Amino acid sequence: MMSRLRLLLPLAWRNLWRNPRRTVITILVVGVGLWSILSFAVLLEAWSRSSRDTTLKLTTGQIEIHAQGYLDDPTVAHRMAPPSGDLEQLLKSSEFQTFASRVRVGAIVQSEYKTLPVTLIGASPDAERKVSVIPSQVRDGRYLSGADDTGIVLGRNLVRRLKTRVGKRVVLMVQAADGHLAERAFEVVGVFAAPEQTENEFAFAGIKTVQTLTGIADGISEVVAYSGSDDALPELVARLRKAAPGLDIQSWATIAPLEYAVSTLFNQFILMWLWTMFALMAIGIVNTQLMAVFERTREFGLLQALGMRPRLVLFEVALESTLLIGVGVALGVVLALLSVQAFPNGLDLGFLGRGAEMVGAGHILYLHVNPADFALYSLLVWVMSVLATLWPARRASKVSPVEAMARAAI
Amino acid sequence: MTAIVECRGVTKHYRLGTIDVAALRGVDLTIDKGDFASLAGPSGSGKTTLLNAIGGLDRPTKGSIKIEGHEITALNANALADLRLRKIGFVFQAYNLIPVLSAVENVEFILQLMGVEAAARRARAKEVLRDVGLEGLENRRPARLSGGQQQRVAVARALASKPAIVLADEPTANLDTKTAEDLIALMSGLNDRLGTTFLMATHDARVISRTRRHIVISDGGITSDERRKLAEAEPA
Ligand SMILES: Nc1ncnc2c1ncn2[C@@H]1O[C@H](COP(=O)(O)OP(=O)(O)O)[C@@H](O)[C@H]1O
Ligand SMILES: [Mg+2]
Repeated sequence: MMSRLRLLLPLAWRNLWRNPRRTVITILVVGVGLWSILSFAVLLEAWSRSSRDTTLKLTTGQIEIHAQGYLDDPTVAHRMAPPSGDLEQLLKSSEFQTFASRVRVGAIVQSEYKTLPVTLIGASPDAERKVSVIPSQVRDGRYLSGADDTGIVLGRNLVRRLKTRVGKRVVLMVQAADGHLAERAFEVVGVFAAPEQTENEFAFAGIKTVQTLTGIADGISEVVAYSGSDDALPELVARLRKAAPGLDIQSWATIAPLEYAVSTLFNQFILMWLWTMFALMAIGIVNTQLMAVFERTREFGLLQALGMRPRLVLFEVALESTLLIGVGVALGVVLALLSVQAFPNGLDLGFLGRGAEMVGAGHILYLHVNPADFALYSLLVWVMSVLATLWPARRASKVSPVEAMARAAI
Repeated sequence: MTAIVECRGVTKHYRLGTIDVAALRGVDLTIDKGDFASLAGPSGSGKTTLLNAIGGLDRPTKGSIKIEGHEITALNANALADLRLRKIGFVFQAYNLIPVLSAVENVEFILQLMGVEAAARRARAKEVLRDVGLEGLENRRPARLSGGQQQRVAVARALASKPAIVLADEPTANLDTKTAEDLIALMSGLNDRLGTTFLMATHDARVISRTRRHIVISDGGITSDERRKLAEAEPA
């Protein structure tokens, strides 16, 4: 095998440069095709990650635990006890990166000017910082300082609509556990920035303050938990359900089905693009290689006349294609890497304004190269392209030396 | 004398659509070790067909061909390729060389296919190129060699494997008179010095007059076969 490679490699390499125009065209077809596949994959991956992040890093958990009935009727009537026993042990195990407990109830917020509906979240600031980006998105004032903080943090747009600001007071009304309407004044201590819908919907206060207000002692509405990748989610959900049989435990695939679908759909898009580009590339490659083989019929006849076995002729032509397409693949990878490097600070979708949020992404797409994907797509393109050239190569090896040489005599 | 080639009743038919063309009609021919033979005859008489059959490039329709006593008509494609590689040296009319390889690499290519190791290969390739008078041109590619020089490289390559026989099909057809005479003198000299067996298809009188065995083929059959002394052996 090695000695054969040493025999054929120089021959194949030099043959590549006999028709530089065709070689360059083939390299460009493969290079640009792969570049578009890789760039597309990077872009869609960034978009899909951004979309997943905007969903998962605000208030939705990768896995959410509620009392039975809460999802249909999110009131304090459907509350649960803080995690304990098997459930707590599992949540604190290495299977999970982090988790947070919250009280989450529908509320009415009232300023001097306006009354608006919100979702009031009673949060433990330390845990919340690990599960959500909102604590780090405070643009004015501060985030909650502890579980018993009596201040409230509101979204930027909500503050504008309420015509209030940091330091002013708002009144919140919620339905308490005993059914009566409880109300309490909060000082606005911070204003956070987020997608518009989130800014309008959520208000954050210390969990103990909200528990007292609603009269549920140490009861909570939900636990949100994160494990990292989505791959093991179904298995983790099953284990959690076993640990806490009485609770309603769901992954974000069921809680936020649209966002989850968008995230997975992008992977399908990448594959579709891959196959489309690949089909176009294959047509070009097979065409040029067939032409190349046809032009060199006489030479393949000579190689066989000199005593080269047909197999080895096939191997030689396949080796030429492998080298040729290999150069194209290298070009595609380099182009794609350069393209990603051209946006070190991410691709700013600011020009889309709030439009980007509507399609589920953040303002800035952070492009990053996934080496495994790059390797996989490049290898796939390489292998498939070489396979596509096996047909022309086979034709070359089937040349009858006599007929090929007879053609020479003409 | 040892027989290098033995043809018995070799027949070759080509089918062209519905027409049956008989290119060889029962050829009996023995080539002995050390022969320097010309196979002469008009165009279309079957010279190429016979050479191809002897060289294992094509199978006869009927008959037997033995190379150094081994029947070759029943060999499969791979065995025929090996036979061509080790036992036969070919010199064709034109386009003999692999264009992307230099003179010495063209010769070495055969030895590489045979599995000869690098040092021995290079030494042997240089030796045969010296034998054909191409010292100093080893690293030129075919495009930068004259027609005569290219044919000499082809002869050198044919000799490299020390084959049982060198088959040359109209080797001088594309050469001018002087170059053609040099080439035939070269082959004659190699036959003298190294004892290499040559069989050359040709209708070139310059070639025929310099061979020691004179075979004539006509319409697919051997019509005359005479041995004679060379009038004068001019040095190359
Ligand atoms: N591949 C082929 N198909 C059909 N007929 C052929 C083929 N090759 C040779 N012939 C015929 O066989 C005869 C002998 O041809 P060839 O051996 O090439 O003669 P020469 O080499 O003496 O000119 C000719 O009539 C030629 O037309
Ligand atoms: Mg002929």
